[in-house]
Amino acid sequence: MEFTGFPYLTAILLSCVTGLLAILFVPDENKLAVKWVSAVFSGLTLALSVVVFLLYDRTQGGLQFVERAAWVPAFGIQYLNAVDGFSLPMVLLTGIVFFTGVLTMWELENRVKEFYAFYFLLVTGVFGLFMSLDLFFIFIWYDVSLFPMYPLIAIWGSTRKEYGAMKLTLYLLAGSALILPAVIFLHVQAGGTTYDITALMQPGTFSAADQKLAFFLLYIGFGILAAVWPFHTWSPVGHVAAPTAVSMVHAGVLMKIGAFGVLRVGMFLCPEGWQFWAPLMATVAVIGIVYGALAALSQTDLKYVVGYSSVSHMGIVGLGLSTLTVDGLNGAVFQMFAHGIMTALFFSAIGYIYDRTHTKMIPELGGLSRIMPVASGYFILASLTAVGVPCLASFWGELMVFIAAFKVYPVGGVFAVGGLVLSALFMLRVVQRAFYGPKNEKFAHLSDVSFGQGIPRMILAAVIVLFGLLPSILLDVIDTASVAFIKGLP
Amino acid sequence: MTAWALFAPELSLFGGALLFLALAMGKRSRPRRDFLAALAATALAIVVGLASLKAEGVLFGQSYQIDLFSQVLKVLLAMGLFLVVCLCGDVKGVAERHRPELYLLLFTCSLAMMLLTSTVHLLSIFVALELSSYSLYVLVSLRRTRELAVAAALKFFIVGIVSSAVMLFGLALLYGGTGAVYLNELARALPAAADQPLVQVGLLLALCGFFFKLAVFPFHIWAPDTYQSAAHQVTAYIATASKIGAIAILVRMASVSGGSLYLVHVLVALSILSMSVGNLAAVAQKDLKRLFAYSSIAQAGYVLIGILSLGPEGYAATIFYALALLVMKFTCFLVLVVVASDGADIEVAQLAGLHRRSPLLAMALMMSVFSLAGIPPTIGFTGKFLIFNAAIERGYLPLVLIAMANVVVSLYYYLMVVRAAYLLEPATELPPLQVSPAMKLLAGTLVAVMVICGIYPTLILELSSSAAAVLVK
Repeated sequence: MEFTGFPYLTAILLSCVTGLLAILFVPDENKLAVKWVSAVFSGLTLALSVVVFLLYDRTQGGLQFVERAAWVPAFGIQYLNAVDGFSLPMVLLTGIVFFTGVLTMWELENRVKEFYAFYFLLVTGVFGLFMSLDLFFIFIWYDVSLFPMYPLIAIWGSTRKEYGAMKLTLYLLAGSALILPAVIFLHVQAGGTTYDITALMQPGTFSAADQKLAFFLLYIGFGILAAVWPFHTWSPVGHVAAPTAVSMVHAGVLMKIGAFGVLRVGMFLCPEGWQFWAPLMATVAVIGIVYGALAALSQTDLKYVVGYSSVSHMGIVGLGLSTLTVDGLNGAVFQMFAHGIMTALFFSAIGYIYDRTHTKMIPELGGLSRIMPVASGYFILASLTAVGVPCLASFWGELMVFIAAFKVYPVGGVFAVGGLVLSALFMLRVVQRAFYGPKNEKFAHLSDVSFGQGIPRMILAAVIVLFGLLPSILLDVIDTASVAFIKGLP
Repeated sequence: MTAWALFAPELSLFGGALLFLALAMGKRSRPRRDFLAALAATALAIVVGLASLKAEGVLFGQSYQIDLFSQVLKVLLAMGLFLVVCLCGDVKGVAERHRPELYLLLFTCSLAMMLLTSTVHLLSIFVALELSSYSLYVLVSLRRTRELAVAAALKFFIVGIVSSAVMLFGLALLYGGTGAVYLNELARALPAAADQPLVQVGLLLALCGFFFKLAVFPFHIWAPDTYQSAAHQVTAYIATASKIGAIAILVRMASVSGGSLYLVHVLVALSILSMSVGNLAAVAQKDLKRLFAYSSIAQAGYVLIGILSLGPEGYAATIFYALALLVMKFTCFLVLVVVASDGADIEVAQLAGLHRRSPLLAMALMMSVFSLAGIPPTIGFTGKFLIFNAAIERGYLPLVLIAMANVVVSLYYYLMVVRAAYLLEPATELPPLQVSPAMKLLAGTLVAVMVICGIYPTLILELSSSAAAVLVK
């Protein structure tokens, strides 16, 4: 057993689990108590994530906060948590989206206790996955974060919720059906003694052929969750069907699990497989960027627009990962973070609008900024971020990815930038049609976001601006990991 | 004296069977007394089984082997019987005057299963298998709705005797090819006889009897009708305890098979067919018990993957999975018995509103079907993981990929069950379910076992590994 200092990472997991248990013991009828318990524990979790982010030693880099304990010695399974420059931004992202998600759902009245219980379970899995360095646990956390999605969408969702929930669950489980054999395969090929990623990533552990096979399985398996084209179709449907907080976690964090899994498991363990398949990854990513943008262009449902734009933005992440450069990796991880916060803000804003107007159809909304200037403002801010306006978080991620992509894949880079221009087009079009233009009298009596309701959105907006103005806070952290990783490549 | 002590778990069940034979002759039916007596007798059997866990020895002139493998499975069988008896507080599907016979047959069937885990003589294997099958034929026909039950029992019986006949033929070929009737002799003779078609065919045919028990394709056709037509408690028994005996003897036979490639190829084919047929057919089912029947066929396919790995890891994984199947399947049937309190068959859609009628049972059902689908952190996942691990170690990665594709298909119908329990609302408002405290305790314990063994499987894993190690000495 090995713990260096206070086990912050375990504390984060325990905070989620304790919150889950506490929710289960609150009486059904007392909905407000359930919400307060959720807010307190998710707030505690966020606080712990921020502390970990601040305490991480940027000059030293590498894996920190290592916590290690034997779990199933017969199979070499360990409880092994640590964060590095790749996972630290993800932990912070999860903390922010988790807390703001709880606050966004404050007005929920239907089966409140069950909702928060499933929601906490989902987030526990997400945190565990980002922090774990044991392959076996990574798989467990992956599935723990998947199966609550079914009840969460099917019970509390809207628009074809059962179909969306079933499609999402089956797609994502199909992904895990490829990941599990790949994980066991790697374990067996390395001698069947350990699942420890730090041990398995030593050069020479796997033959080139094994790496190509395993990376392919892992890329498709995790790629489904990252909405890699052509396995993306579950994603817009799922986003649209899910309730607001679940859309936030789902698009904001869960899709990052896919990209993060490709990075942490696929690229770390099978660098030669990664290099072999990188051109395929780049091609697929560029198709995703352009396709997502084109598909978003023709949507009339706000949530579908954001859903398809997520496909496009996750394509940028994939493109960054496929460049095999420090800039590309930095950009991809930065984009993962920025996109997470941005989509959370998108869905949070849409959630508020939908709760009031009961529609997410762009033509019906028309001129909403005259009725709900603040709510519209949050959506517009998110749109500007999506478009890549400088000084907003997403800009830096996209910039780095495109610079790297132009060097490595000039043709792909051109198409990708074209996709970005398209995305600017559709976002501005949506903003113009839904929020400007003549006021829709039907909604004139509706109230705007109050201060209390605005807290989660304000947090998200502040984060976007903060990391847009001072990207180095995040970039310094990511850089420690990506420089070392690229240098260590064979 | 020591010889009797070795035989204690079997004797405890035999005693129970005799008791119910006597009670069955009584004139007045007293179901409550029968139920309590059965509970006490099965609890005693578990205690005796645990006490003799470490027993080792040979009985009846080398034909009866008592080792850790057999003793672990005997404890599992006793627990399976105990759990099923727990559901028998009010067997609506079986007439009151037939209750003692119900218990009698459950005891004789379990006794036969126990014999099956230990016996190492070809003929006594056959006799033990027949004893368990005949008990089940009668058990299935005990249901009140006679016509269907008798028809199903007849189908069950015909498939059963055909597979028995095939098995007997196979045993004869094996004996003809090797001259061995004891499994240890067979283990010595088989590797040398790997190129003899006679012996290979004989071994395969001999396994057919066990395939029938486990409902492996193509011996699965009895399962859906039998599951649906038998009383719920009897179906629960068929789905849980009776599988353990079949798994036990299959593992033991595989361990003496000498690792012939021919056998492995056939098992791979049967495994793929069982998984695919079971899962695809289950997707179309409306009746809950038929759905579980097809899911059992699919589960038999996963079990075969563990067996065909032909190594201690595979056997350990299979033993672990046998426990997992017992817990998961039983939990499903516990919910089924409580929800269908009048003893009638229910459809999946009739689970509607369960999350309000009994949140605990809804959760137990959700956990057990997720466990059956192999989603962590549950015992079903750990079991599948161990099986796949063993298979990949042997280089069967493509087979595991096929199995995982099947897992995805199976998730669809398992999710339909969850959907019914959590999402659907009944057409007419139904009252909350009356769940006795004992049932609540049982359901809660089972859920806890499923999760704890999923998160921390080390202890059971070590036990099953040492049990499997006995086989490959």
